Amino acid sequence: MDETQLKVFVGIVQRYFEKITGKAAEVGTPFLGQPKELPIHDFTGVIGISGSQRGCVYFSAPAQMLKELLLRAGETDLSEDNFADLTGEIANTISGNARREFGSEFLISVPVVVRGSGQHITVPKDVRAYVIPLRWHKIAASLVVSVAKA
Amino acid sequence: MLGFDLGKYRTMVVSIALFLVLDLGVLILNFVISSEIDKDAVNINLAGRQRMLSQRMAKTALQIEARNAQGQPSEKEAKELAQAHATFDGTLNAFIAGGNTLSGAGKDIHVERIDDAHAQAILAEAKGLWTPFSTAVRGLGDKGAPSPEAAAGIARQAEAVNLSLLKLMNDLTTRCEQLSSDKATTLRMVQVSGITLATINFLIILFHFLRHLRESDRLVEKARRETDNILQTTQEGLFLLDDKFAMGTQHSKALAGIIGTDRIAEQDFLAILRPMVTQKTLDTAKEYIELLFQPEIKEKLVASLNPLNHVEIHQAQGAGEMSTRYLQFGFNRVREEGRITHLLVTANDITRRVKLEQELKATEERAKGQMGMLVEILQVDPSDMHRFLRAANEGLGHINNHLMEQGGGKAEQKINAIYRITHRLKGDAGALGLSMLATPFHELEEVLDGLRGRPNVTGEEFLPITVHLKALFEQLETVGSAVTRIAQMRGVVTVEPPRPQIDPAEAVPRVVSQWQAFTRQIADRQQRQVQLSYSGIDLQKLAPVLQESINSMVTQFVRNAVVHGIEPPAERRARGKPESGRIAVYVSQREDGGADLSFRDDGKGLSIAKLREAAVRAGKLTAEEAATLDHRRIVALIFEPGVSTREAVDEDAGRGAGLDAVKDMIARLGGTVRIGSTPGEYCHFRISLPAQPEQLAAAA
Repeated sequence: MDETQLKVFVGIVQRYFEKITGKAAEVGTPFLGQPKELPIHDFTGVIGISGSQRGCVYFSAPAQMLKELLLRAGETDLSEDNFADLTGEIANTISGNARREFGSEFLISVPVVVRGSGQHITVPKDVRAYVIPLRWHKIAASLVVSVAKA
Repeated sequence: MLGFDLGKYRTMVVSIALFLVLDLGVLILNFVISSEIDKDAVNINLAGRQRMLSQRMAKTALQIEARNAQGQPSEKEAKELAQAHATFDGTLNAFIAGGNTLSGAGKDIHVERIDDAHAQAILAEAKGLWTPFSTAVRGLGDKGAPSPEAAAGIARQAEAVNLSLLKLMNDLTTRCEQLSSDKATTLRMVQVSGITLATINFLIILFHFLRHLRESDRLVEKARRETDNILQTTQEGLFLLDDKFAMGTQHSKALAGIIGTDRIAEQDFLAILRPMVTQKTLDTAKEYIELLFQPEIKEKLVASLNPLNHVEIHQAQGAGEMSTRYLQFGFNRVREEGRITHLLVTANDITRRVKLEQELKATEERAKGQMGMLVEILQVDPSDMHRFLRAANEGLGHINNHLMEQGGGKAEQKINAIYRITHRLKGDAGALGLSMLATPFHELEEVLDGLRGRPNVTGEEFLPITVHLKALFEQLETVGSAVTRIAQMRGVVTVEPPRPQIDPAEAVPRVVSQWQAFTRQIADRQQRQVQLSYSGIDLQKLAPVLQESINSMVTQFVRNAVVHGIEPPAERRARGKPESGRIAVYVSQREDGGADLSFRDDGKGLSIAKLREAAVRAGKLTAEEAATLDHRRIVALIFEPGVSTREAVDEDAGRGAGLDAVKDMIARLGGTVRIGSTPGEYCHFRISLPAQPEQLAAAA
């Protein structure tokens, strides 16, 4: 995956935060992470990538960030189910926009939400993933892109 | 003939027709013979009547004679005789030649000639007796009562023929009965034969066709079992498709696994395809199938248009995982009586084949790409290569660590730190002649150079660095695996003689040979003539970390000296120097186990004026600061990142990073550096590196 394609994913997340809260998420310096060392927060929305490249892209955020986001959206239901729904919505936004951006380049799956920071997300083995740290109102989240050539 | 083909039912139809013909034949014969028997019954009656008439005529003749003798009137008897005569005569003639006579009821009926020789012989004899008597009697009724003589004559004639005529008529009656009986026997025979034949025919039909039906059923059952076995065991997905895109009721068991659904029978094929393929492929598939149902289209000609010949399908599995499979659908027309009724669709899962092809292709491409790489790798001593790969991996790991450190305000430091590592690794790769690594390091350096000095570099702007970093990691892995393979090959066969650690001919240490080769390489690119000489200890005696560092530093100094120090040959000649520049490297071991490195070139030395300009150009100093800063601090600027006296950038220099990387290394090793230079004469670096912690730990 090249720089332009990565920027598309980053842009989607930034725009989502900006649209919902009026403040875009700050992007930290992206780095590479080994499959077993990838950051996973409380709620993770995973979308599968297939086609010329295979793997997954996930957005992972702590409950605190999701709570803040819900509060700012005027939500009063701050249950875990609602956190999961919001994570799913963010992943869905990534999925939908990426599908529009990339067209037939990749095939992008419907998102799956995984709860708990101790969960294992299946990413391609032996592939260094791009970890893009995100920060919004001093709360850290991560966007991880782990794909390998098919 | 009938306008339709009876096919396999032909024999059955013919048999049934024969059955009907037989029945009809029997019926006709029955009718004909029955009709004959009816006629015979009439003849029997008439013959019986003749017998009675002969008696009546004799009796009446005798009555007439008696009445005449007694003088009584006999007109009534004469008339009765005349009538009996007429009836007998008419009937006798009708029997002989055919004609009309009166029936018992007094009606005029037609009697056919009796076609029987025996009967005719009887009739002929009767006729012979009858004719004289008839002549005597004829006209009796018209004349009224006969005279006594005439009556006596008639009576005598009647007596003469009566018995004979009675016998003959009796014979005739018997013969007619016989003939009728014969015909009744024939009729029975015909009926029995007809019914027998019809029964035989029926039995033939029954047994023949039962046998055929049972045979046919057996074959159908066998065929069904075979078809079932094929459909159950074939690995291909098979089904029939009609022109409405509906799938048939029968399909192979494997089909469900291939297309991923059990609901197949009578389903819409396009609806099953829809989630698997793009809308465009679906539309093309629909058009293609419609084409195949058009008889004027040549099947083979359009085969290449099949959009489902290679279908890539993706199915979600678990948490974000997707599996990809490749399917192939083939279409063949099914014709019945020349009309295309269905398409036989063959579905195959060709994932394994496609993946093998992809792997093969990737392997071929890798092999192609690796050829140049292998040549470069083979030029490098394996231990140097391992050392370099280890150092490069560590270096890239450090770069990644720098990237991982989050937090604002440190972007510039981060960029410079990454730059130094990149530049050093690029130099090391170049010194080993590994252009396949030097080039991507150079590209990363260019990206970094674009960010250097820029205020407020955002995290997103680091993205290309991370992308290059990943590519470099991958390239290192590729080289690493190639090195391993070469090592394995060396283990099996001797690809080339192992290189001696020191060239026995000139006793030049291998590392020095590399420096010399690298010097020539850069000198060629920069149109210089330079010779590098070495004196000092065998570097192998030093701790590995010192060996690597000194090697890396010398590489950077060589690059620096050739690009910035050594003048072009013409200029050197003009200055009274030998055309070929000289670089002298000297390494000695310190008492504590550390090392001292001396690097001296006889180039133009450091130009304070140019350094001032470069510092201003790089934004390190203002013009005023540059003008006032003392020489010592100006010289120290050569170790600052981004300061280069070279105005143009190329692969060898111009970014002002080389000495920055050297300074970084010296700092990490806790060493010191001193610089001596006389403009127009030389530049001399003296580095002193103390023993390293791992040496001290090993010694303790």
